[in-house]
Formats: sequence, structure tokens, C-alpha cells
Amino acid sequence: MREWLRRVRYLWRRDQAAEDLRDEMRLHVELRARQLRERGLAGDDAQSAARRQFGNRGQWEDRSREIWGWTVWERVVQDFRMGVRALRKTPGFTCVAVLTLAVGLGMNTAVYSVVNAVMLRQLPYARPGQLVSLWEEHPPDHDQFSSHGDGLNLAGAQTRTSVAVANLADYSASQTMAGMASFDGTGMNLTGIGLPERVSGLAVSANFFAVLGVEPLRGRDFRAEDDTPNAPAVVLVSYDFWQRRLGGDTEVLERSVMLDGRPSRIVGVLPRGFQSPSELAEGVARELYVPAAYTAEQLHDRDDHGVAVVARLRPGVTMRSAQADLKVIQARLARQFPATNKEMYPVIGALRDDVVKGTGTALWSLLGASGLLVLIACLNVANLLLVRATGRRRELSVRLAMGASRMRLVRLFLAESLLLAAAGCAAGMLVGMALTRALIALAPADIPRIETTTMDWTVFAVAAAIAIITGVLFGMAPAWQASQTRPVEALKTAARSSGGKAQWRWRASLTVAEVGLSLVLLVGAGLLLRSFAVVMGVDLGFRADRVLAMNIRLPQSHYPSAGDRLRFFEALESRVRALAGVEAVAYANRMPMRGSWRSGFQLDGSVDELTADFQTVNAGYFETFGIALLRGRLPTAHDREGQPPVAVVNQAFGRVFLHGQDPLGHEFLYGDNARVRIVGVVADIRRGGKTAAVLPEVYLSAAQTTLYPVRLADFAVRTAGNPLLLADAIRREVLAIDKDQPVVHVRSMAQVVDESVAQRRFQMLLLAVFAAVAVALAVMGIYGVLSYSMAQRTGELGIRIALGARPRGIVGLVMGQAGQLIAAGLVLGLGGALVLTRFLESLLFQLRSTDWVTYAGAAAVLAVAAGAAALVPAMRSARVDPMAALREE
Amino acid sequence: MTRGQRDEIPSGTLDLLILKTLARHGELHGFQIADSIQSTTEDVLQVEEGSLYPALQRMLLKGWLRGEWGKTEGNRRARYYNLTAEGRKQLERETERYSRVSQAIARIVEPA
Repeated sequence: MREWLRRVRYLWRRDQAAEDLRDEMRLHVELRARQLRERGLAGDDAQSAARRQFGNRGQWEDRSREIWGWTVWERVVQDFRMGVRALRKTPGFTCVAVLTLAVGLGMNTAVYSVVNAVMLRQLPYARPGQLVSLWEEHPPDHDQFSSHGDGLNLAGAQTRTSVAVANLADYSASQTMAGMASFDGTGMNLTGIGLPERVSGLAVSANFFAVLGVEPLRGRDFRAEDDTPNAPAVVLVSYDFWQRRLGGDTEVLERSVMLDGRPSRIVGVLPRGFQSPSELAEGVARELYVPAAYTAEQLHDRDDHGVAVVARLRPGVTMRSAQADLKVIQARLARQFPATNKEMYPVIGALRDDVVKGTGTALWSLLGASGLLVLIACLNVANLLLVRATGRRRELSVRLAMGASRMRLVRLFLAESLLLAAAGCAAGMLVGMALTRALIALAPADIPRIETTTMDWTVFAVAAAIAIITGVLFGMAPAWQASQTRPVEALKTAARSSGGKAQWRWRASLTVAEVGLSLVLLVGAGLLLRSFAVVMGVDLGFRADRVLAMNIRLPQSHYPSAGDRLRFFEALESRVRALAGVEAVAYANRMPMRGSWRSGFQLDGSVDELTADFQTVNAGYFETFGIALLRGRLPTAHDREGQPPVAVVNQAFGRVFLHGQDPLGHEFLYGDNARVRIVGVVADIRRGGKTAAVLPEVYLSAAQTTLYPVRLADFAVRTAGNPLLLADAIRREVLAIDKDQPVVHVRSMAQVVDESVAQRRFQMLLLAVFAAVAVALAVMGIYGVLSYSMAQRTGELGIRIALGARPRGIVGLVMGQAGQLIAAGLVLGLGGALVLTRFLESLLFQLRSTDWVTYAGAAAVLAVAAGAAALVPAMRSARVDPMAALREE
Repeated sequence: MTRGQRDEIPSGTLDLLILKTLARHGELHGFQIADSIQSTTEDVLQVEEGSLYPALQRMLLKGWLRGEWGKTEGNRRARYYNLTAEGRKQLERETERYSRVSQAIARIVEPA
């Protein structure tokens, strides 16, 4: 222990200690010489005798210093200093290697960080592993739709639906469940605090927070008695709502807020940062939570599927056993209620999987792609190190001949590799942090939890470890190899050989692998690119340009009947039509790309119930969206209550339900046995957006209010100029009619369409960037390998030229060699792509993952890029001056 | 043995010689230690004098010796070594070990 302290002291003052030692030794020799002189030796003889007796002073000094135990340390420091010097002598190599590592590590870390935040990290609830989501599945209603699908064949797949509240009581009786809560998104008009505003919230069963294991920060959770239809209105507010809208009022529990015109008492505030499963999945902030208070009617209607369900398994219960128990319950319900429950199956899945559904495949693919990129980066660095080592064989031989130990050489290379790896990791860290931030900024808003991404240090450590191991292995291998050779022979042959057959084979296979992996990424990016082009080329069937859409949700309390709501929208229509720049005005239950409503009907007196998409629209709807009338007429202002009910259908309606006959003049039974006459046929649209199927559509007249069960809520105008400029004017007209009425979701339709493809664009862009980097690395690899191998063969080339080889022949020689490498890489890459791009299949739109055009295109791009890279060293070789080359020998 | 014939110091005994010399004379600097060993053994035991210094450094580290800087008679700067308590203990151990070994050797080399 004390000995170590003394050692450490030596480390601090080792220059002084060395000086002391030298003083002592000098004194020793002088005193001995004097003694010898006194005994009669001549001055010079005495001096040399004293020296002889002492021995080699330098050696004894070194031996003494070794005792201190710091020589190893000093040698390491020296090795690293030499490493730095060597790396600085070849700045090109150093930069390329460090950058390669930085890009590979940085990209991988950034992508993994996002994946981790979105998919891997536990949900922010108590014991999240026990939480499951529950939904119901039934066989698809009408498989005739699938023939008009978008290429995704869903035939045979079960259709997922939300849960009927009435079934919930039976499911939650399962012994495997510790609790089961229902929730459903809801919007409420908030008045009394600033401007009227529509606030989104969640209607939840009373046990919702208990199941999630979340307790309110202030106040209390819901109680069972809050959750009944006639209970006094209560509300739990989010932390943000409390802070932002109520100014963090400490008396918050004494306050009420006006929701849909009804005072609701605030009973609690949720903890800061609490997000319900629906917020995590959809990224829409929910500010208010109200008791669902299902009516007796809802609690008995097993056909009304309307709520989402989250459940907690009892401790120790597996998903499998819970699922089995639900199956037993389903069998009982099927016997009891065959009409509604015979083919309605409860299904559970981990809540986490449910939250990330949709983005999962895309993110896993990106992670795979970034993993490939790390591999390519490592291959590239390995290649660079081997190439560099080849160029240094002569230096190594000289060092060996000068007496450097083999161990010493290995250490020197090790130090260099470690320095490179460390610099690469440091740069990679910066790149990773910047890229993580960029990814979050660029990502479309609907990727759940992406805003919670933080740089993931674990994965950075793993990636860095891989990089360091690669660096060390490939950095030391040449040193080891060189140290095995005899220096004299190496000196003789170093200048001429390019590092021996074995090394050439190594480097060639690395290059081939690099080309192959790059091709895999390139094919993947190509597939997404082509798929995106297909998506962009899809005709929506309606015109989204110069249309402004918004949502005006009229509260039940102020507008109790459908007639009240119609009058509001008619008043608004006439006011807005008078505004300058408005060309057409539409209102409906929903605008295109904002959801739809499916309903059953019976066509032409048949008893078979069919299902189609329904809309209830005003006459201006078709003009606003540019949907062409093909036959018959559009609903007019005269198709009101009391007039015979009319409908307009699209072409798909005729194709699917009438074997291609003209639907005009047909009738169907709808709702309360109303006989609805089809008076017009309009063009097909893709209601759901670019990637949605064309479905049979039925448009009812908004003025025939008793016909439809939905609420008019969406409003849109076609404008002469920039649609967004009209937003304020329309809002003013709304407030002029009702000063408490909020207007929300004000968007141009072009924006809505753009957002609907944002995820695809994001995926495509990321993969395209990955592929570009990969190709750049592969090109660098080929260039590097050929350049060095040609530089090593300068002598041989000189002889060839001296003997009459033409430049064309020399270029051919080099390009032949390059061609072999590239061809082998392409074959490998095409095989890899065939296997790996299958995982991309679900991201592709109307494109198979085996699309040969993409494969051919990617291979061609890579071949041309690699060929161009090879051409540079080839041309240089052809210009070798034979005299100069031979003189070098 | 004739004078002038020099023998190598048996390995491992250099420490013992240094410790013993310092025990006998108290404070000495490097040259004095070497000179003392030489004159005591009448120049029979001979080492390259430099080998003293690694041994001294090792013993300083072990804490057997203490080094203090002082002036020689000729007013030169020199490090004077003396034994610590730990050094004395070490001397006992080394002496004991030495006698055990040399007796054993003596029994073989000079049978009674």
C-alpha cells in the first residue's frame, strides 16, 4: 500500500528522480576515479577504470527507472504519440476512416434511439408488462371489396373492431383479469376561458386510471358513482390543462369548467407528463378526462362497437392463458346471443404492440438498414487499414531490421487503430446527437412517442465496441503478418508485391461484401422510392387544391336536434358564400380523408344486408371537391325533410352491388325502412387517401335530416386563391352566428393529403440517405483497393508499357480486375436483397418486393458508380512512365 | 585465493550486503556503500558497481531504506542512505535465510 504511494510519487516527479539518479552515479564514478588516482593511476586511466568498474551508466539508469514501475506506461504514451504522428502523416486516410466510422455509428445510434423511444421502451405505467389491449374481431363482411383493394390481399383476415360496451362486463369477469377499463376519444367545446375552443379528451370508465396504475397528482380519481348517466358532471384535467388554461390555480379543485355548455366540476389533476394509451398511439394531446357514463341502452346493445379497452392481467397470468379464458367466455356469449356474438371474438395483445402498430415495420426496417450501414462502415475501415498496411510493409521491415521487437510493432499498430477508433467514436457521438435531433424534427407527427427520443448511450457503446474491435483486428493483422516475415526478404520484396496473395484475397472479399451490402440498401431504397412515386401518382378522384376544410362540432346542449344543426350550417353557407374568393361551399358529416361512416342497407327489396360508406352532404359538396356528376342529378336544396329521400352513389356502387349495371333509378331500404331513391351517379374517389381502396359510396342529402344518424360537423370551401387566407373570415362568420362556437382542424386539403403521405416520404428519404452513404462507402472501398494495388504494381506496369503494352490494354487490365470485384458484389447483393427486402413488403404500395425493374436499376447505378471509381486508378496506371517506374525498383 | 581474482556476487545476496553494510556503518552514500563492500570483502566479491543503483531504488520503494540528501566532505550533493525499522527486520530475515542456505551448502560441500 505504502509502496504504491511511493510509486505514484515517482510518477509525478520522475524527471527530478531521474536527474537525482544521474547525479548520484556521476558522483560515484568521480569519487572512484579520485580514489584510483590517489592509489597512483594516471588521470585518464583512473577515469576509464572507474567507468569500467561502474558498467554502462545508461543501462543502469534504465534498470533503476524500471524499478519505479512506470516504464510500461511511458512506452504506451510513446506508442500513442507515434500513432498520432503516423496518422497525421496520412491525413486523407485518417479523415476518411474517421468519417466513415462517424457516419456509420452516428446513423445507427440515431435510428436505434428512435426505435427505442417508439417501440422498445416500456410504457409509462405501473408494471406495464401486465397491460394488454383488448379488441374484437369478426370475419370480413363483404369480401367483394377486396377485389378493388390496393394490392394488399386481406382476404381471410379477421376484421378488427372496437369493443361493444355490453360485452365488456362479461370479458372483465374473467379470472385472468385484474381490471378492464374502456375509453373512447371525445371532443368538448370549452367555453368561459378565453375564446371558445374545442378540446379533445377521453371518455373513460371509472377504473381507467386504476387499471393503468396512475394516481391523480391532486384531488381524486373517478368513483363508480361518477360513472352513471345522471351523476353530476365531473372532470379530471391534464397537468398541461391546469397549468396553461387555469394558470396553475392552486384552488383548482374548487373550480368548474363549461364543457359543451354544461358546468363540470374539476375533481382532480393528472400527474405531469401523463399520457393515455390513445395519446401515445395517435400523438393527439388529451386534456380532459370525463366518465364515460354509458347509458342503460349502450350497456345492453351487443352490436354497438364503440370503445377501446385496456386491461391488466393478474400477476403471473400469461397472455396465452388469458386468451384461452376469453375464448371460453366467447363460446358462452355465442350461445346466449347468437345474433351478435356468434362470430365476434375478443382478442388481446400487449398494449405496447398496440401503441406502436403501423410504424413498427418501418422502424424495424430502418434499424436493419442502419445495422447494414455499420457493417459497411466497418468493412470500409478494415479495407482502408489493410490497404494502408500494405503500403507500409517497407517501413515495417526497416523497423524490424533496426531491432524493433515484433511485440513493439504490434503495439504500434494497436495504438494507431485505437486512436482511429476513438476519434471515429467521438465524431460518431456528435453525428449521432445531431442526427437524433434531426430525425425528431423531420419525422411526421403521427409516429407515437417520437418526441420522447433521447440519444441512446447503450447502443452507442455497442456500436462503438464493434467499431473498435474491427479497428483493432484489422489494424493488427498486418502487423502480426509482417512480424512473421523475415526482414531481409521483406525488404527485398516489399516494393514489388502488393502484399501477397492472401492479403489481396482478404481485401477483395471485403470489397465484394461492401458492394453487396450497399446493393441491398440501394434496392431497399429503390423499392420505397418507386412505391412512393406510385402513391404520389394515384388519382384521388377529388381535387384537394384550393380547398379549406375545418371542423365545427355543434354541442348537443345548444343544438339538440339534427334540424338545429342543419339550420346553423345553412346560415353559415349563405354567409360564407357571400365572402370574396369563395367559389363553392360544402358541409357534411365528414370531409374526404377525415374518416367515414359505414352502414348497412337493403337494395331493391332484397333481404340481404349490404354495407357501404355513407356520407351526408349538401349540394355544394361535389362542386367543392370537383367530383364529377356522371348521370342523373345531384341532391339539391329542394331535397328536404318531407320530400322523397334521395341518394347519389359512385360508380363502384354499381360495380360491386349491381354487377356493373347503372345504379340510377334503383332504390334501397335504409334506417327506419326509408325507401331511398338513387337519383345520380358520381365519379369514384379514394375517400381514405392515396393508398386507400375505392369503395362503394352513398351520399345522402344533408337536408333530409331524419334519414341519417350522424352529425353534420365538417365544413369546407373551394377558394379562388390561397385557401388558408380565408380561415379568419370564416371563423368570424361562425362567431357571428354563435359566439361560443369553436372552429378546429382548419386545414387546406392539400395539407391533409400531404400529411397522409408524410410517413412514406420519411421512410423513403431515410432509406435513400442510407443507401447513398452505403454506395459512397462502397465506391471509396473500390477506389482505395484498386489505387493501392496499382501503386504496388507500378514496376510491373512500367515493364508492360516498356514492352509495348498500350494504355488501352492497361486500362482494360485494371478494369477487368475491378469488374470481377463489382460483379461478385452485385451477385451477392442481389441475393441478399431478395431475402431481406421481403421485410419491406408491407411498406410497399402496389409494388412487389421482387420488382425486377428496381433490382436492375439499383444494380446499374452501383455498377456505374463503382466503375467510375475504378476508372480513376485505371487511367493513372495507363499513364505510368516506364522509365520512372523502373528507376524506382 | 590470490588477490585480484574476483568472484561474482551470488544472486540475491546484494540486498543482504547493502543492508548489512548500512547496519554496520549507519549513513552512507552510494559510492561509500560500494567501496565498503569491496574493502570488507578485500575485493574478492566484485560487481559492476552500477548494479547497486537498481537495488537501492528497489529497497527505497520497499521502504527498507530512507534516502536523505546531504553534502559530502568535498561539498558535493549526495544521497545518504540509512536503514528503516522495516529495513532492520528485512536484514534479520535475509541473514537468517543466508545462514540456513549456506549451512546447507556447507554440509554438502564439506562433509564432516
